[in-house]
Amino acid sequence: MVEIVSPLEPDYRRGAHGNREGGSGVTLSETQPGSIVQLAAWPGQDEALRKVIQTVTGLHLDAVPGAGAIVENTAAFGFAPGRWLVVDQAEGRGETLRDRIGSDLGTVCDLSHGRTAIAVEGERAERLLSKLYALDFSAGAFPVGQAKSTAHHDVFTLIHRTGVDRFDLYVYRSFARSFWHLLRASAEEFGYTVE
Amino acid sequence: MLIACPYCGPRDLSEFTYQGDANRTRPHPMSNDQSAWNAYVYDRVNTAGDHREFWQHSGGCRAHLAVVRSTLTHEIKSVAIARESMNREAAK
Amino acid sequence: MSPRRAHNGGRIDRATRLRFTFDGTAMTGHAGDTLASALLANGISVVGRSFKYHRPRGVFSAGIEEPNALVTVIRGKLREPNIPATQIELYDGLTVESQNRFPSLSFDVGALNSLAGNLFAAGFYYKTFMGPVVGPLKGTRFWMFCEHFIRRAAGLGRAGYEPDTDRYEKMYGFCDVLVVGSGPAGLMAAKRAAATGKRVFLAEQEAEFGGTLRWKSATIDGLPAAEWVAATIAELATLPNVTLLPRTTVWGYYDDNALGALERVSDHKAHAAIGEPRHRHWTIRAGDVVLATGAFERPIVFPGNDRPGIMLASAAARYASEYGVLPGERIAIFANNDSAYEAALALKDAGAEIAAIIDVRAGVSLSARELAREAGAELLLGYAVTSTSGARRLREIEIQPFADGKVKDGATRAIVVDCLAVSGGWSPAIHLASQAGHAPQWDESLRAFLPPSPTQRWTGAGAFTGAFSAAAALGDDHAVNEPEIEYEPAPVFEIHPTGKKSGKAFVDLQHDVTASDIRLAHREGFQSVEHLKRYTTLGMATDQGKSSNVPGLAIMAAARGLPISEVGTTRFRPPFSAVSLGALAADRHGHFKPQRLTPMHDWHLARGARMYAAGLWYRPMIYGAGGETVEQAYVREARAVRASVGIVDVSTLGKIAVQGPDAAEFLDRVYTNMFSTLPVHKARYGLMLREEGIAFDDGTTWRLGEHDFLMTTTTANAGKVMQHLEYYLDCVWPDLRVHVTSVTDEWAGAAVAGPNARRVLEACVESTGVDNDALPFMGIVRGEIAGAPVMICRLSFSGELAYEVYCGAGHGQHVWDALMAAGQPFGIVPYGLEALGTLRIEKGHVTGAEIDGRTSPRDLYLDWMLSKKKPYIGSAMVDREGLVAPDRISLVGIVALDDRPLQGGGHIVEQLGEEPRGSIGHITGFCFSPALGKYIALALVKGGKARHGQRAFVSDPVRNRYGPVEIVSHHFFDPEGSRMHG
Repeated sequence: MVEIVSPLEPDYRRGAHGNREGGSGVTLSETQPGSIVQLAAWPGQDEALRKVIQTVTGLHLDAVPGAGAIVENTAAFGFAPGRWLVVDQAEGRGETLRDRIGSDLGTVCDLSHGRTAIAVEGERAERLLSKLYALDFSAGAFPVGQAKSTAHHDVFTLIHRTGVDRFDLYVYRSFARSFWHLLRASAEEFGYTVE
Repeated sequence: MLIACPYCGPRDLSEFTYQGDANRTRPHPMSNDQSAWNAYVYDRVNTAGDHREFWQHSGGCRAHLAVVRSTLTHEIKSVAIARESMNREAAK
Repeated sequence: MSPRRAHNGGRIDRATRLRFTFDGTAMTGHAGDTLASALLANGISVVGRSFKYHRPRGVFSAGIEEPNALVTVIRGKLREPNIPATQIELYDGLTVESQNRFPSLSFDVGALNSLAGNLFAAGFYYKTFMGPVVGPLKGTRFWMFCEHFIRRAAGLGRAGYEPDTDRYEKMYGFCDVLVVGSGPAGLMAAKRAAATGKRVFLAEQEAEFGGTLRWKSATIDGLPAAEWVAATIAELATLPNVTLLPRTTVWGYYDDNALGALERVSDHKAHAAIGEPRHRHWTIRAGDVVLATGAFERPIVFPGNDRPGIMLASAAARYASEYGVLPGERIAIFANNDSAYEAALALKDAGAEIAAIIDVRAGVSLSARELAREAGAELLLGYAVTSTSGARRLREIEIQPFADGKVKDGATRAIVVDCLAVSGGWSPAIHLASQAGHAPQWDESLRAFLPPSPTQRWTGAGAFTGAFSAAAALGDDHAVNEPEIEYEPAPVFEIHPTGKKSGKAFVDLQHDVTASDIRLAHREGFQSVEHLKRYTTLGMATDQGKSSNVPGLAIMAAARGLPISEVGTTRFRPPFSAVSLGALAADRHGHFKPQRLTPMHDWHLARGARMYAAGLWYRPMIYGAGGETVEQAYVREARAVRASVGIVDVSTLGKIAVQGPDAAEFLDRVYTNMFSTLPVHKARYGLMLREEGIAFDDGTTWRLGEHDFLMTTTTANAGKVMQHLEYYLDCVWPDLRVHVTSVTDEWAGAAVAGPNARRVLEACVESTGVDNDALPFMGIVRGEIAGAPVMICRLSFSGELAYEVYCGAGHGQHVWDALMAAGQPFGIVPYGLEALGTLRIEKGHVTGAEIDGRTSPRDLYLDWMLSKKKPYIGSAMVDREGLVAPDRISLVGIVALDDRPLQGGGHIVEQLGEEPRGSIGHITGFCFSPALGKYIALALVKGGKARHGQRAFVSDPVRNRYGPVEIVSHHFFDPEGSRMHG
């Protein structure tokens, strides 16, 4: 397979950056999943579609808005009424899902190239993201496993909380480099590491 | 202003786009009644009080919402996913 | 005599010396000083000149309400004017300049204005410069003559011209309880809320928490108040549910308990730390808000009340107790309430001599008498200050007997003092409450506006509510030892001696509004508070009338013979205090102007492309090769396409996946032409209208499967089209089973165009044929290029044999490289937007310049796309009378007959006279056409087709371009389309 080139490539500088006084407050990394697939159900088919997700990925999703789950290399979460994202480090998940989702159930749209996945992890992750989004990132309002759709100005973002101190962000690829610059600039005061 | 998106929860106004009066009824597509089309496209009531209107959660789940808002106080009386409430209405 | 540093006392760090310069003079202060306290400590009395009369002014307050001591802070090349010296924390290297003086602070030419006296009274500008010309020194024309001089003299500090290089950022905060203000009431509210486990934000506009407790003599639970504050803050700081926000001014109260706050993160440092912003703007969503914003002391208005050395009594006490600074050696107090007596004692304890306490009241409480005795002050009851003297600072005051609200005839007594501390009572800081509440209510006993009833979720605490003592603020849980103070003032706001001329009595010190200005406004009929404010500019300066509001209203009320409660007050509006524009713009300034980049962006740059911003996208305009002009470059690129083959990045085209069993039906409704009949693996050009029949967008849509379409839109309209589709699916046809998803970023696109395009593809495409049978016009195939999956559609925008090659965006550069390599033998040339435009103009294809929101499909000769077999959005209204009128503007071609370039926006006129007029249309797109060897353009012209072959003129006064043109068909080149079908 031909390698998927990251849009961050020339500006992705591994190592420690910013204010080093307190070490690294956050770690930034591009997670480069092989598959990012949107599933959308017709009205009344939500449950059936969540079952397909469970069968294919092993992830159980609750029937509540934004419910998500994660195992080692796979994550899935709802981000809009009747819509879910399935993310897998392996390529080709779109095909597997397409085979199982008939036109009576819903649609499958492969976004593996179109979205860039960036993980923000660390003690200051909540505070860093509070600079960008009008969202309450505290654990009470945004529990682990949950996902939210939001935007920073024009940069539409899906945010999946995958850990107490970790958020996986999905942004449109064309915005990714510009957004990466902003993330780095915003993280500078905490000190950050690019992994 | 906050709008409580039924899917996403209360969100800042900046995430939403106003999508117009929700009290209009589109004439039947085959209708050639020009005054009905004219009313649909151009006429607005300019309500002082509770007003039903569409807002899109464009910076969020992208669903259109049917919102009842007081144009006098900005108080939001109800919010529903537009597709669901329009389908319910159609069923009536 | 001058103010000076006291020998001891204060909470400053006397061991740390900080250097600063004021108007170029080097001075020193200590850590913990504000600029105001440090200037006083250095003996500086005159800090600035006043706005209108250029009178010398000194420090008047110790807080955010400061009207006088405004300075310009200089950081490198940046100048920030009009900053209150009371709000500037001293740091080593601080550089400031005084304002509104020329040539220097001590000698100021503008002070002559003072002699002109009534010339600058309220309404001066309206009376002098508005209206018809009557005599030589009146009217609008006179204004035009004077404007330059007046504008130069007006205003306060001057801003710099350098771009602001400081960093600003925004932050969103969420809490259960936001406490605004950290005096005793705020601290208690924060403690109580924190104890229940709620998330608490405590915002304090000053550097340190504690409010008045930092400098009051009270003890709490046996501890000096300041120590109790330190212990309380230390305790709050350990709690995980408490966020302490020092240097954070909450400035606006908005709907749904959203509050705006400005955190001054690094203004108090010589250099910000790495990554640290100068200001951080907070948008705080609070469940509940506790307003513990305290109260402002207000002055009494009397003649000569603006002389340096006259300041608020609480400010004088604060300089002595908190900063260890004596604002004078020999001080008099002038008051209408008890609180100034406490100040007298504080000043005495710091080492000043209290010459006298002058009180307008005939009798005072025992506790006040006791404080006066302890301060060693002569107590002069039933007296008022009626004039002051001293050139650059106060030297002497005159007092006269005062009773029943009036100055009594009788002996005038002079008292030599270098400082006069004034207290006219206290006004709760109800600004935020007023933004989120009903009208404030006047309280007859406190003689102040009390907080209104809320319209949002807030409660008040402490001095904000009119409970001014620390004990009242702290409640029963704490033992407070403080002097007993009667805060209710006598109803005296102004001392207005009649009979003698004793000088100006200022109400608004910053805008130089005097008591007589208010009476003048009254005489001239500007009596409502809203008129008063605008006519005199009372309260409209940067301090927003924090100390002048109530005295001003009281003077108007007296003039009208009404109680203050009936005169009312103006509504306080955001911001409570100045907010830097940088903080409001934050990441839109400098750090983050989002750019959308295509997968081949870096390649374009490496190839010398000059980039062009198309919305947020960046696209190559031309690829400049060795010193070419733009025109030379695009002509070369366009020629190469027509002669052999070119390649252009079309990744920016909007792409929308339209999926579902009703997708074809949906497309039939949104496009004017039919899509349900489109076979799988075929594409069709489609046109969308708005409901009223005006053209909206165009593009090709590809049928990838029975229920699966890929719609392309113009780059500019991608977002709008997406929203349009979502609206119809959600709100108009909710029964349709269709999903739309933006896949613009999923696909990289390259258009390969030119007579050799097919050969280029043949050389690199695998797993599919690309010959005319396998890939006919508007056909789609899937295959691979260099191992990457691709989707190829044969369609043409240039009029040449052309293909759009789409692949996953992450493979975009890989596929582009392969296409370039395959094109090498044919001399493939990358081309930019200019050449793309040239090729389309030669073909007469429309874009956003023609689909401009005003044109109908007929105007663009696209009526062949209007299906008669089905309704579509716009079908009911597209045939309206006005949209089919023969004199509408419609698409034509234009050829310059003078062989000079044409330009967009130039008008087409029938005749060129002295003053060209009678436009019949305008140019929408223009180029030098290599195919025709002429300068050509597309234009929208009245009558359109009927004018083909006619001569007209281009008239472009802005760019001084006039000349003859010929109106022709917009199909300039290969009108039969033989080349793209070849």
